[in-house]
Amino acid sequence: MSEVLELDDLSRRFGNVTALDGLSFNVPAGQVVGFLGPNGAGKTTTMRAIFGLTDLDVGSVRWKGAPVGYDQRRRFGYMPEERGLYPNMLVAEQVEYIGRLHGMDASTAATATLRWLERLAVADRATSKVEALSHGNRQRVQLAAALVHDPEVLVLDEPLAGLDPAGIDAIGEVLVERAHSGRCVLLSSHQLDLVEDLCESVAIIDHGRLVASGTVDELATSGARRLAVRVEGDRQGLWARAIPGVTVSEVNGGDVRLVLDDTTNSDVVLDAARSAGHVTKFVFERRRLSEVFREAVGR
Amino acid sequence: MKPLPIIILAVLVIVALIRLSFRRRGEHPLPRLGVFLTRLPGRQLLGDTGLVAGREIRERLRGRVFRVVTVILFTVVAAAVVIPELSSGTTKSQRIGVVASSTSLEAELQGLAKSVGLPVELVSEPDLSRARAALSVGQLEMVVDGTDKILVKDPVSASDTSVGARYVRAVSETLGAQRAFAQAGLTPEQAAAVAGAKPLPVYSIHPGKKARTTAEATALIGVILVFIVLTQYLTWTLMGVMEEKASRVVEVLLATVRPIQLLAGKVIGIGAVALAQAVALVAFALVLAQAVGSSLVQGASPLVVVATLAWLLLGYAFYSWMYAAAGSLAERQDQVQSLALPLSAPLIFGYIVSLTGVSSGNASLLVKVLAYLPPTAPFAMPTLIGFGEVTWWQFLLSVVATLACTLAVALLAARVYGAAVLQTGKRVRLRDLVPALTE
Repeated sequence: MSEVLELDDLSRRFGNVTALDGLSFNVPAGQVVGFLGPNGAGKTTTMRAIFGLTDLDVGSVRWKGAPVGYDQRRRFGYMPEERGLYPNMLVAEQVEYIGRLHGMDASTAATATLRWLERLAVADRATSKVEALSHGNRQRVQLAAALVHDPEVLVLDEPLAGLDPAGIDAIGEVLVERAHSGRCVLLSSHQLDLVEDLCESVAIIDHGRLVASGTVDELATSGARRLAVRVEGDRQGLWARAIPGVTVSEVNGGDVRLVLDDTTNSDVVLDAARSAGHVTKFVFERRRLSEVFREAVGR
Repeated sequence: MKPLPIIILAVLVIVALIRLSFRRRGEHPLPRLGVFLTRLPGRQLLGDTGLVAGREIRERLRGRVFRVVTVILFTVVAAAVVIPELSSGTTKSQRIGVVASSTSLEAELQGLAKSVGLPVELVSEPDLSRARAALSVGQLEMVVDGTDKILVKDPVSASDTSVGARYVRAVSETLGAQRAFAQAGLTPEQAAAVAGAKPLPVYSIHPGKKARTTAEATALIGVILVFIVLTQYLTWTLMGVMEEKASRVVEVLLATVRPIQLLAGKVIGIGAVALAQAVALVAFALVLAQAVGSSLVQGASPLVVVATLAWLLLGYAFYSWMYAAAGSLAERQDQVQSLALPLSAPLIFGYIVSLTGVSSGNASLLVKVLAYLPPTAPFAMPTLIGFGEVTWWQFLLSVVATLACTLAVALLAARVYGAAVLQTGKRVRLRDLVPALTE
């Protein structure tokens, strides 16, 4: 059975509010999958549904083809949006405790705890209480608690929020490493540039529905072709405005960004540019993930 | 055993506990107690519930609040046992000077000393002036001048109930009577008959307050102990659940543990600490009382002691589920207080009625009824046992009723907990849970 976390037709209403509306997508093992959507789109509800923390009206979550229950979730790791640690408990004991709740024996959990605290550069705080830690260190400890039992599926709700660049690098490196060692990694974030750097693929949802998904490369090169052109002598792009099937999307410091429809030949654009002046730049551009996101959610 | 070494020992124990509570400040990567406790075989015994219970036990025992409260409780118990013995226990032998001594006088003085419980050493003095000098420098506590007069260093107040004062009054009255008998010309036999006169018995046609028996005294202390321990640990249960919800750690835990396991682990863990503390307190009180010869708990009825501990456990089992469920409705301290109030009302009612009953020396009808109601039985049933008014089947009936209600309460509490503990942002009202509870 392939190692895929399948979210199938998830639906959930809270009173008059539809949180999930037939949401379906897969999280394959071996890559970091970004889970994107505006506030209130249903990301947290989806993640909680994976862990049985929210009842579903319709739909199911499957891992390796089987419905997910407590036994499967012992092999899952979870980092909720509103971090959850005992403030008065010592860091190492807390991580070890979470490991044991996931089925580890005491000595294995203790060894894994120390290894992860060292890996995430918080080993020197092993005997501190959680309440004495900085925000960034708490985040690292929370991640250690999600990783201590070497989970097959890792679900992280906003793991990078509020971190400094060093923290983002440290956590990002661990997530990529876990994915490349064959684990499923699903993370939500509003930091789209970071997601673009970190994730191989993304799922974008809005109003509880999937509105776009695919690899970052596919999404960046999907849709209309985009050209960045610089013509000395016409820095406002007047030369392009009369070409059929071409839209000027942006003029910035002499660079004119054009969107070509499917029927327009780029050679026609190049000829028009040359006739307007000396062409110093003519580049096909990838779409930024932020553009894909805005287009998908319509805002 | 003398009280002084016991007091020193008790103080040393308390100081050791205080030192233990303040020693741990980061110098040990994992405190020794923690290492021991993390190895508790919780999982083998109860699965994930055992793990949760083990964490509760470990964290509670480590907590500063637990240590401070324990030290205070042990200190109060030690004081309650030892201080009465110190104030009433002038058991040091007193030296009594006797002028114009005779065998019959010395026998009389020894007999009186024995009757009031004062060890005395009689010292024969050649004359009154030598005896007075010895009294003034503290070599003697009292001088008896034949049947003529008695000298003491300081005046003896009529309200002084110490054993020394009682001895002075007894000697004064007895020797005064003997002198009167002699002056009246009574023969020794006649004098003995008059001296041995006993007052006529007085009978009341209404039953009055009888002297408290040892079992009743034990029940009185037991009711107070149950109330203190229940109040403390039920509050911990409530706060513990609320804190898990407030810190959101419950979301991480419930991702892998079932709500009933988490709830049961907390209840069992805190309950184990409560019972252990109560057993330790009772054992400490009994041992200390035995050592200092205290009548307070010496010879305490074993049946009442065991019944009190059993009802402490049953009372905790009954209430803890409700307190835990209430904790899952709140996520702030001010919300907790309003939730705890209605829960504590039956507890306080049962405590006050039982305390009043055991203090009055009579088991009222109300106490007899409350002994079969699970919310009040933890106080009323030990009270009835103290009065010796319970048969084994009545005891068993009350236990079964409480266990049955505990099971029902636990099932309901688990549903409330499961439905409420993940709802955050505001205090959850029970009516908000109706749809989830009726599904």
